[in-house]
Amino acid sequence: MNTSLLAGAVLNGMVTGMLYALMGVGLSLILGLLNIPNFAHGVLYALGAYVMISGAKAFGFLGGLLTAIVAVAMLGAAIDYFGVRRLYRVHPDYILLLSFGLSLILTESIILVWGPVGITFQPPALLTGAIDLGVTAYPKYRLVVMVVTTVLVLGCYLFVTRTRYGAIIRAGIEDKEMAAALGINIRRVFTLTFAAGTGLAGLGGALMSPVRGLLPTMGIDILPFAFVVVVLGGLGSLPGAILAGLLVGVVQSLMTAIWAPGADASVFALMTLGIIARPQGLLGQR
Amino acid sequence: MSDGALLRTERLTCDFGALRAVNRVSLDVRAGTLHSVIGPNGSGKTTLFNLMCGEIVPTDGRVYFEGRDVTGLPSHRLPHLGLARSFQRTNVFGKLTAYENVWAAAFARRTPGALGFLRRASEFSEVDEEARRILGEVGLAHKLTARAETLSHGQQRALEVGVTLASSPRLLLLDEPTQGLAPEATQQMTRLVQSLVGRYTILLIEHKMRIVMSISDRISVMAFGELIAEGTPDEVRENRDVQRAYLGARR
Amino acid sequence: MTRGALLRFGLLLAAIVALPLAVRPVVASEIWIFAIAGMALNLIFGYTGMLSFGQATFFGLAAYTAGLMMIHWHAPLLVVLAAGTVVGALAAAAIGYVCIQRVGTYFIMLTFGFNQMFFFIAYKWTAVTGGDDGLPGIPRPPLALGPLAIRLDSSLRYYVFVAAVFLLAFYAMKRIVDSPLGVIFQSIRENPGRAAAVGYDVKRYKWIAFTIAGGFTGFAGVLYSMMFGIVPLESISWIISGDIVFMVLIGGIGNLYGPLLGAAAFKWLSEAISVVWERWPLILGVALVLVVLFLRGGLVEAFRRLRDALGPRARPEPGAKLPVGIAAETEAGS
Repeated sequence: MNTSLLAGAVLNGMVTGMLYALMGVGLSLILGLLNIPNFAHGVLYALGAYVMISGAKAFGFLGGLLTAIVAVAMLGAAIDYFGVRRLYRVHPDYILLLSFGLSLILTESIILVWGPVGITFQPPALLTGAIDLGVTAYPKYRLVVMVVTTVLVLGCYLFVTRTRYGAIIRAGIEDKEMAAALGINIRRVFTLTFAAGTGLAGLGGALMSPVRGLLPTMGIDILPFAFVVVVLGGLGSLPGAILAGLLVGVVQSLMTAIWAPGADASVFALMTLGIIARPQGLLGQR
Repeated sequence: MSDGALLRTERLTCDFGALRAVNRVSLDVRAGTLHSVIGPNGSGKTTLFNLMCGEIVPTDGRVYFEGRDVTGLPSHRLPHLGLARSFQRTNVFGKLTAYENVWAAAFARRTPGALGFLRRASEFSEVDEEARRILGEVGLAHKLTARAETLSHGQQRALEVGVTLASSPRLLLLDEPTQGLAPEATQQMTRLVQSLVGRYTILLIEHKMRIVMSISDRISVMAFGELIAEGTPDEVRENRDVQRAYLGARR
Repeated sequence: MTRGALLRFGLLLAAIVALPLAVRPVVASEIWIFAIAGMALNLIFGYTGMLSFGQATFFGLAAYTAGLMMIHWHAPLLVVLAAGTVVGALAAAAIGYVCIQRVGTYFIMLTFGFNQMFFFIAYKWTAVTGGDDGLPGIPRPPLALGPLAIRLDSSLRYYVFVAAVFLLAFYAMKRIVDSPLGVIFQSIRENPGRAAAVGYDVKRYKWIAFTIAGGFTGFAGVLYSMMFGIVPLESISWIISGDIVFMVLIGGIGNLYGPLLGAAAFKWLSEAISVVWERWPLILGVALVLVVLFLRGGLVEAFRRLRDALGPRARPEPGAKLPVGIAAETEAGS
């Protein structure tokens, strides 16, 4: 295979990988704190993309991004407040089922509002076109997205590990009751973390809309991969999600270039092997 | 073991990272006796039970039951060897009835071959009789069909013991059976435990001093994860180290 | 049999007879097929406490296996039914062994992940499965009982067959649940730590539950393969996995009749609404959210509340063993 194609595939893999890492980080925070797989994470990613394009029409590209983040984060907070909170005390499985129901409702709502047909979206004029990287030419926008998502992901990691609020989140993940006993308003932490996690998903969707285009099923399509990232990386481990995200993205991209039919299945094979070899995930504890 | 120790631990040790929760505890429980383990809160008594019963794997040391090394065996093997424990925080099957709780524990000892599972559960009359007998013994005969989570705290503690008895063990490890019980219920539980002496060998963790002193054959005293004294109730009562460790916590 | 049990069973038989009068025989058959898959999920979720979001793996694998056997080898009906059940059980044994090493969230995501893996394999391996187009040309072999060969060509005839084998599956499930396994599984759900402490190898029993469920689900998958003459790709997709979860939840978890009610409600609703409104999954989502928030015992709980509102409950006989499950939440102790 020629180097240009390979380089392109690797770069694609890194772009997708950082997106997966972004999704994984959000999901991992919610999973770590609430101990449920948020099945709505995919559809919130989709919603971010759709709100983005509507917002961009009114407020321009950056305005669209902002609208998307705010809208999805607020929706996330509402989901937590009206839905998840009522189910904290009951079995965590029910929160998963709630998120599953919500994903259905939201997907159908997207179709109702924006129609069932796929939509393409152009990146801002400033970022169209490609850059010559020597080994291959690569779209400017994708490079920017890769950089932005990397910054976001690292920013999250630093926030959670270096700031006081991040320490509170980590305390809540370790031992909710203890954290609450120490006077931390654990419910507020939950809601804010949920909103932040979902906001990240929405942002991911918004950023990626020029890259991948929009389809109502884009949420359902990306969800399994987000889960693979979290499981492979290790539940509740942000560095794990980042590492796994990159790994999954690159593997998928390379397989698409080498043997396309096996690309998606290989991701799950990777997860299975990973779990068998290391049950706690790449960087998970226990 | 020829010296009659049903259960023996040798230098049993458990570290949680830098914290040594149990430090080289060696004790013998002689068959047919009621042996109590006492000590201030946090002295490692429950951890000791957990080490004996496979809930935690010891960092060091060994556990022998009837001469056989059972160190670190998974917990589900122990009832089949003749050892059963109760838990300090009631640990029953919440949404199952009291009857089903005890039935489940009793059936576990009788696990038939694969063909046995073709029969209806209600057809195992021996298990049914055993469950009813035990529930009667712990005073829950009138609560057979009540779900465990609807029982009062005292009834749940009784059920807790019942589930443990259902394993037909030779050695009972009872972890604070009177935990949280009002005086009358405490008396009932104490009578129950006394009625078990002779039929079972009992290793008992208890906080209530009067009970411990009146019913134990031997007492081991723990503090900060270590065994600081051991002997008959009288010997332990006189022991200076014990008095110091308790510092007025005697009841 | 207690009077209540007799009554419930009578209602079931009545429902079987009356159903093709209420809905098209095709829909009626689907109801019993998914009821079987629902019972299987109920065994591992309602009774044992393991939520699997990947039952379509076994449903689809069995459907494809049966389809291929019928197309290439003209395998007889009873043989493919047996083969599908075995395939479902074996796949569940293998997959279950891996998944059961983890609990809770990990477990759910592993079942989901495996489902996705097999879905993608089926999607891409078009030579064998037909990919997105499905596997066409599935015949409906006659039921060969000794010298008799009963043709099952019409949808009504097939319905009678499906209903009959459903009753067999129902009876089998009832025997399993009434056996000691029923209590063991529930004790694992309630308190796996204590279940181990009283002497049960929890992982082993979880694996047994998962494998049994895989067998039942495979059985249902074979029946499904013969419904439309084609094995659609969705047989192995997580949409079906999700549908099965819905049905059990909406019907009532932990109760033997729950999945039946759920399958009926689900299929009937989806039939009725999808004709009128293409966005009917939205209704489904709303129904699920409402059930999860306000009526976790599903339809079974709804009926119970209705019955309690209408009159006092009979006291349970002291000697009787009561079936207990999450659906029994509303019952008070005696």
